[in-house]
Amino acid sequence: MTAIHANPWLASLLASHGSLAAPAVSWVHELRRAALERAHALALPGRSDEAWRFTDLSALYRMAFQVPAAADLPDIASVVAAADASSAGTVLPAGLEIPEAAYRLTFVDGMLEPSLSNGHDQRGIRVISLASVLADAGHPMHDRAQALLGSEASDSDADALATLNMAFLQHGAIVVLERGMRLDAPVHLLFVSSRPDLATHPRLLVMLDQGAEAHLIEEHVARHAGASCVNAVARIRLAAGARLRHARIQSDSQAGFHIARCLVDLARDACYESTSIAMGSRLSRLDLDVHLRGDGAHASLDGLAMIGAGQLADTHTFIDHASPHCTSRQLHKVVLAGNAHGVFNGRILVQPGAQQTDSSQQSRTLLLSGRARIDAKPQLDIFADDVKCAHGATVGQLEADELFYLVSRGIDPAAARRLLTFGFAADVINRLGIGSLEQRLRERVLAQTESLKVGA
Amino acid sequence: MSSTLQQLIDQPYKHGFVTDIESDVVARGLNEDVIRLISAKKEEPDWLLDFRLAAYRHWLTMPLPEWSSVAYPAIDFQAISYYAAPKAKKKLASMDEVDPELLRTFEKLGVPMHEQKALAGVAVDVIFDSVSVTTTYKKRLAEAGVIFCSLSEAVREHPELVRRYLGSVVASNDNYYAALNSAVFTEGSFCFIPRGVKCPMELSTYFRINTQESGQFERTLIVAEEGADVSYLEGCTAPQFDTNQLHAAVVELVALERASIKYSTVQNWYAGDANGVGGIYNFVTKRGLCKGAHSRISWTQVETGSAITWKYPSCVLEGDHSVGEFYSVALTNHHQQADTGTKMIHLGRNTRSTIISKGISAGQSRNSYRGLVQVGPKAEGARNYSQCDSMLIGDRCAASTFPYLRVMNESARVEHEATTSRIGADQLFYFASRGVDNESAVSMIINGFVKDVFTQLPMEFAVEASKLLGLKLEGSVG
Repeated sequence: MTAIHANPWLASLLASHGSLAAPAVSWVHELRRAALERAHALALPGRSDEAWRFTDLSALYRMAFQVPAAADLPDIASVVAAADASSAGTVLPAGLEIPEAAYRLTFVDGMLEPSLSNGHDQRGIRVISLASVLADAGHPMHDRAQALLGSEASDSDADALATLNMAFLQHGAIVVLERGMRLDAPVHLLFVSSRPDLATHPRLLVMLDQGAEAHLIEEHVARHAGASCVNAVARIRLAAGARLRHARIQSDSQAGFHIARCLVDLARDACYESTSIAMGSRLSRLDLDVHLRGDGAHASLDGLAMIGAGQLADTHTFIDHASPHCTSRQLHKVVLAGNAHGVFNGRILVQPGAQQTDSSQQSRTLLLSGRARIDAKPQLDIFADDVKCAHGATVGQLEADELFYLVSRGIDPAAARRLLTFGFAADVINRLGIGSLEQRLRERVLAQTESLKVGA
Repeated sequence: MSSTLQQLIDQPYKHGFVTDIESDVVARGLNEDVIRLISAKKEEPDWLLDFRLAAYRHWLTMPLPEWSSVAYPAIDFQAISYYAAPKAKKKLASMDEVDPELLRTFEKLGVPMHEQKALAGVAVDVIFDSVSVTTTYKKRLAEAGVIFCSLSEAVREHPELVRRYLGSVVASNDNYYAALNSAVFTEGSFCFIPRGVKCPMELSTYFRINTQESGQFERTLIVAEEGADVSYLEGCTAPQFDTNQLHAAVVELVALERASIKYSTVQNWYAGDANGVGGIYNFVTKRGLCKGAHSRISWTQVETGSAITWKYPSCVLEGDHSVGEFYSVALTNHHQQADTGTKMIHLGRNTRSTIISKGISAGQSRNSYRGLVQVGPKAEGARNYSQCDSMLIGDRCAASTFPYLRVMNESARVEHEATTSRIGADQLFYFASRGVDNESAVSMIINGFVKDVFTQLPMEFAVEASKLLGLKLEGSVG
């Protein structure tokens, strides 16, 4: 308790907990209460924890945030372009829209903004707001949400930040596809921060039943340059043969804090393909835990962190081969400019009996500045003998011979460096599989490489 | 298939016997009086006693390290006897005066001293428990100006050198077991190669732990002055005991400008029986400092014994253009645990390091590579290449890789690779179809796997290391 009071961040969160709208059903109240109780007792992560050795949260702990209450209306005007008042109620600015998406839920400062959303709540396919399901005990998805959240209450014991998210359980999204349902077009979940100084705790529940297929875009953006705090938890469950592509774009404000935890469970022959891009935030951390629990499941985890001065991006991934005949692939790239600090920790566990595992992991870091710093730790933990596992990690600058080649073709050295840097990053972006999003991110990367003093 | 393999790897420890020599053992327990007693018995100067006491006082404040993947019952540091020496005898001038019992011990190990003498002029500083019994070839080394003697002798004969370098690489408060060692170390070797001298022969020390329940705390200090060159060999075997023995050594290497130190280890201490009972705890701190420009330190180790091996021979690359190397084979079987690797700390410009680590786990053993490659902000042009391969034999063993890469300089280039493989039925079948029996096939596969490391060993050591792997993994099949 003493430690908690010495921590303005936690104190500010706990103080505003009372302003949360009381839940309509008792089990939500109970989950929140139990989590809050645990949050009081749990030690917050610090540098002495191995998992947080290189990522210092003390800057976050010194800040105070407010939890938006139901009474606070989100600032929609700052989200939608003010240019066209007539359509402001329904249309996102071009910079945020993904035309390919079939469904979209937009959350402004953590709360669903119906005017910017078009979900789907019919038998078979559900793309709906978590708050409405939690509030309505009669909703067909209510029991499933309860089961999934209830099962997690015990899992997140050790993690103080996920526990805090549970304590503020209210807003978020549920995506459920029933057996055999296939969505051809992506689902866009857009989390927009409209104002600084707010702390949000979005929660995402994804359940794909047997053979279902979906493509999910989870995007976090800010429309301001101030500090906000996102503490997100996603829980993804894929039944036998289900297939999910998950694009995670984090481009929060450069002064903000973004902490995310994503837990994925795969049953037999399920497939999870994730591409996470981190470009924003002063401090961002992604914990991506993938459990291959059924035979023949496959996961591919690609990532790109591209950050500059004053930024830290930390990616912790854990691939748990708990069953035989599973495969996993991972490519993680980090581009660091200015005094940016990159952290990558990729652990692959092959459990006893998980024979015929095939796993490979690549971590590549490009240092563009003498003040940048990377802490990379690829990890293999193998408890079975008939496996094929490999990992590789490289840290370096642009290849001298590649630069020379471009220069020999008449491209000036600074442009050649930008081109190679762009190509390094675009390699991951091109794996997203959504044209408009790829285009938007490529432009952003290009702008970032232009602004970088790559040649210096 | 697995039963054949299991037979191949279930070789009992062949070097298990206790030599019956009277030992002068200090009563168990650790306190300042024991440290004063050890220091007095060894007739040490005051500054060394102060060094020990400072280390001890710091050790008392340190928590037990718990970050490694090794598991073992809590060690009762008060149940250990911190000093055991063969009863004082006259100084020995020749081999004839050596206790015949001791000679027979070496005979059983297959490294009889007269053969050692014959072998390419290797000087052997025999450590039998904690006190140097005899040192050979001293004269020839003295002619070259090389000092090679026990550390206690060096404290008497060359106190200024020992004082200058002792604790300069591994500080007395560096880590829990190094602090313990600094407080109670009783023996070890000291080696000093003066400026411009290439050591005329390879230096070698055979360590043995003999007295039951006496932990051994050696301290080795090797200093190579400007342009000096030395190759140092350390080989270890131990008798079979039921109670665990703690071994917490410290090895410090200092290489000045353009000096080169090559440190090779073959370790085959008693690993406990097939059920994991007994065996040595080998908690060692080994570190080399490339202090001068263009200096080079190379660690080569073949770890096949000990119940627990916990060590990270490291290089601090302080001098510009200095080079650090680490070549390791770690083999674990039954319930053995090995948590080993290296640290390469790049501080100077254009420093280079290479890490080649080969882990072989069999039975229910656990084999971990844990390493750090750190490039400091001033280490322009630093270069590292690491390769960590694991081989698993059987489905109850474990192999882990924990490489830490910390890079704070853009011009650095750091590469790490790791793979796992196994000896599969299909490989053995292929060999069999070519008329090669299983035993030879396993031997060939293993030897191919570790080849990159074994080529780094001095010739006669490579032979011995091959024999050791053979003992552990081949042997009498059908």
